[in-house]
Amino acid sequence: MKKYIPLFLLLFFATAAVSVAQSDNISPARKQAIDSLALEKVKDLSKYISIIGSKETQFSEANRVMDRAEELFAPGAEMGVSSLNRKEIAYYKVRRYFERLMALNYDRVNITWYDIHYISDLERQPDGRYVGVVTVYQRFEGTSLESGLNYRDTTKKDITIYVEKKQTQIAGRTIEFWDVMLGDIRVTETSA
Amino acid sequence: MRKLILSVLVLVLSLEMAPGQGLYSPGSPKDDGRFAASTKQVNQFFRRFNAEESVDGSKRYYSEDPLYRDRELRGKFISILFDNETSGITNELKSEFMREVLSENMPQYINFHREGWFAEVEAFFSYRGKRENVTLFLKIQPEGLGYEWVIDKVIFQPFKDIFNKPEGDAKGFLHPLSHELGFMNLRKAFQDSDTPEAFTPKEYQPDYLTLFLYEMKRGNIRFETISDVKFHFFQINNWYFELNQFNRPGFNTGWLIGNLVKLSNGDKETLLRYIYDQK
Repeated sequence: MKKYIPLFLLLFFATAAVSVAQSDNISPARKQAIDSLALEKVKDLSKYISIIGSKETQFSEANRVMDRAEELFAPGAEMGVSSLNRKEIAYYKVRRYFERLMALNYDRVNITWYDIHYISDLERQPDGRYVGVVTVYQRFEGTSLESGLNYRDTTKKDITIYVEKKQTQIAGRTIEFWDVMLGDIRVTETSA
Repeated sequence: MRKLILSVLVLVLSLEMAPGQGLYSPGSPKDDGRFAASTKQVNQFFRRFNAEESVDGSKRYYSEDPLYRDRELRGKFISILFDNETSGITNELKSEFMREVLSENMPQYINFHREGWFAEVEAFFSYRGKRENVTLFLKIQPEGLGYEWVIDKVIFQPFKDIFNKPEGDAKGFLHPLSHELGFMNLRKAFQDSDTPEAFTPKEYQPDYLTLFLYEMKRGNIRFETISDVKFHFFQINNWYFELNQFNRPGFNTGWLIGNLVKLSNGDKETLLRYIYDQK
């Protein structure tokens, strides 16, 4: 089912693109559609992160999910992490971040996401692509059974999204559509 | 082939069987209003300041929307855009600022693409093996098909320590008839003196950014990390404000005005000198 989502979205955007196919500007209606697509990708990422972090996920499965998660990102994307005690940013490649998440030394890990998000305007870059930021909040709970210690934090995740107009051929016709890729993510621990 | 299908099936099932795990899954923790109240992005600060989004931030207002830049909505938004816990901006100053910004005849807005705002970034670099604080100033400029942030200025203490132009009796000089000697006494400026900057015009200012880039290209300076970011705004006539990020418990959080100054004639230049030179 998941594999067909891009096709579904492609058709959706291709339909929406007909009336303004020649324009590179993003109308409010188009922006809203792109926001939805971006949010879908962020939802996928949030689900992948929860699965990778869960101790119930088998190693091989976690690796497969990491592969899927990596596909959401533009090449070279990084996670920049800071905490309440350490404001300096620690940088991790996306894959490394996932691997560290998987290797956390807890017996039980529960990652959930707050029911709130914020999506920025889209700004155009020098190369013509658009860039935006989606903000979400994650709650992490880790339990160590032996020590009985619980660790809990809430992090704000500011996720870069790149929006690009692409073309594809369907039944001999060139169809334009807008694609969304995830980019660098800034992870900030909050006081919540 | 069967293995592949099985793998995909297992993956899809595992995704479907992860209730309460993804964004907006059943069981997601509920925001008690703190995250909604927080000014989560600088972008949201712009939108709130101008009243270009709904109260909960879920809807972007455009010029055709009835509440776009609505004066009453702006008033409510701006009143929550001040740091009320640590900054000590007086209520009188806030009210005066809001009166001018919300003026019925000449309301003032902030604009992402317009000049008059810039970023100050605190970073760590390693310089000749030693960790050093560096302050970078970045501004936004049009480029190609869109916009980009560019490094405009840099403050780097090791460079400032090098350029210390002496004054008064301590200042060396090339006497006014040096030309008659074919400037042979330049040797004193360049070889005998450890403050060759003493022989430069009054208006001379070292270009620290060029030096910084030169040292970076030579491999003497390496980026390590960022530790803090803030923004300076001069877009509102006769006002300056600083935008800081407040990460703390409560409802008055996120990107907020942490410093507000009413400017008189000449104050802007003084303030800019202070910001750029930390004098």
